[in-house]
Amino acid sequence: MSDRRFMNEAVPDKGDRERKSDPSPGSPQQQGTDLSRRTFLAGAAAVMGMFAVNSCTWQEFIQNNFRRMTKKEIDETTERLKAEYREKYGKDFVVGTESPIDGTLFAYALDIQRCIGCRRCVHGCVEENNQSRDPEIQYIRVLRFKDGDMDLEHSDIYYNPDEVPQKGYYYMPVQCQHCANAPCTKVCPVQATWTEPDGIVVVDYNWCIGCRYCMAACPYMGRWFNFADPVIPKDEVNTETHYLGNRPRMRNVVEKCTFCIQRVRKGKYPKCVEVCPVGVRKFGNLLDPDSEVSRIIRTKRVFRLKEDLNTQPKFYYFFE
Amino acid sequence: MKGIGPILIVSLLGLAVGLAAWNGVLVATPAQAQQLFQRQPELTEILTEPLEPEGKPGEEFPVPFAPLPRTITPCRACHGPEKDFPISHNRREPLLIHTTIKLNHGGVRVWCLDCHHPEQRDYLIPLSDGKLIPFDRSYLLCGKCHGTKFRDWRYGIHGKRTGFWNGTKTYYLCVNCHNPHSPRFKPLEPMPPPHKPWTPKETAASEGGWKP
Repeated sequence: MSDRRFMNEAVPDKGDRERKSDPSPGSPQQQGTDLSRRTFLAGAAAVMGMFAVNSCTWQEFIQNNFRRMTKKEIDETTERLKAEYREKYGKDFVVGTESPIDGTLFAYALDIQRCIGCRRCVHGCVEENNQSRDPEIQYIRVLRFKDGDMDLEHSDIYYNPDEVPQKGYYYMPVQCQHCANAPCTKVCPVQATWTEPDGIVVVDYNWCIGCRYCMAACPYMGRWFNFADPVIPKDEVNTETHYLGNRPRMRNVVEKCTFCIQRVRKGKYPKCVEVCPVGVRKFGNLLDPDSEVSRIIRTKRVFRLKEDLNTQPKFYYFFE
Repeated sequence: MKGIGPILIVSLLGLAVGLAAWNGVLVATPAQAQQLFQRQPELTEILTEPLEPEGKPGEEFPVPFAPLPRTITPCRACHGPEKDFPISHNRREPLLIHTTIKLNHGGVRVWCLDCHHPEQRDYLIPLSDGKLIPFDRSYLLCGKCHGTKFRDWRYGIHGKRTGFWNGTKTYYLCVNCHNPHSPRFKPLEPMPPPHKPWTPKETAASEGGWKP
């Protein structure tokens, strides 16, 4: 396979690949017929490939990684996404691209002593973040433990009593821990997932190739894969979205909790904090000594899940 | 007599220092007050707020509506100048009226008039400064016994807040979650659990046997 063909494929330029001749310096001119045919076939295959793949326009195909996009490219992309979502869901979407707020490092704290395991957070999150209803994707798992047992293997997520809390059990919700030393971002072969300056681990769904290495690397099972086209009822879809957050995803990409990036970058609390009926969920800026999480870390007994793995989560469980 | 002298001096000194500090706070210049405000925003917000019963839930300290039936709040309809029903000062004796209220708070130690004002029925027992506590500010009364919880609540550690993590927050008051007459949090019905993942064995078992 010649280098030239590889070059032509790597730089797609809107379908005019079937150039008759593209002699690079030093290449023998007499192979022109053979080469041009090969080039033509390669180019045609690439163009056909672009249009053959369902639900992938050519703009999407040549779209850059979010971190490398210019302002103009970002605007074009969000406009394209809005049109796409309007067609699909019949609503006007907001696809935000807010940058991190200066001087913020987000952290989360959860009062494991008072959680009653009612799963309001799980379903509030599903509605806020446009997660697929069928197949089901839920960013939060609520583990139920017997009192005194801390073995994750013994926990149960399918409990369904008439009333919670039950006597003799305690509950521990687990979601993405937004590690400062996140193993999932290190294994991504295409750098489609990374840690933002404000500490949120995000995914560029359009750049994700769906290899699921990150899911294998995450010790908290904090990532989910869209094995099928996500199904969101049109009347339940949330139109306030963020490019790196809750915009509707496509099949074959990985998604995860983003601390509701579309809310927290505007100063609001994440949805799970808002819906918790007992107020065990606390969110704030780790760099602000007066924030709720900073005070909790200073004054309460705090632990992080699987601390021995040196993932350095920014998700603190606390108790009195 | 030997030991009393130094103790007296030390205690007098301590008193003087304390008084000085207290005066300093009282006659704080605007700049000092600003510093105080910055150091403990929530505390000062609560304590400097005028204790007015008619004060609407303000922008500084927004609270959702207290879960108090507004139609009942004017207790003076019965306990007022016009119709003054007698007040039972006896502890732990069942009342002839208010029988729907089951008091399950603090065991045998707490009785109605430990929180409710005997004469001013639209108010709660006052703080040590003598100012009456309206029902809207009942958290001030709760904090008299539950001091550590009150401190945590002030800093947002106990209880629920909604709104903006870097701006205006809506505070849920003690009584939004805890019925003062029976404060234990009431159990809830959990929302549905996640679906179990599809496995040939278990799915077929629920449909009557699995054959490889």
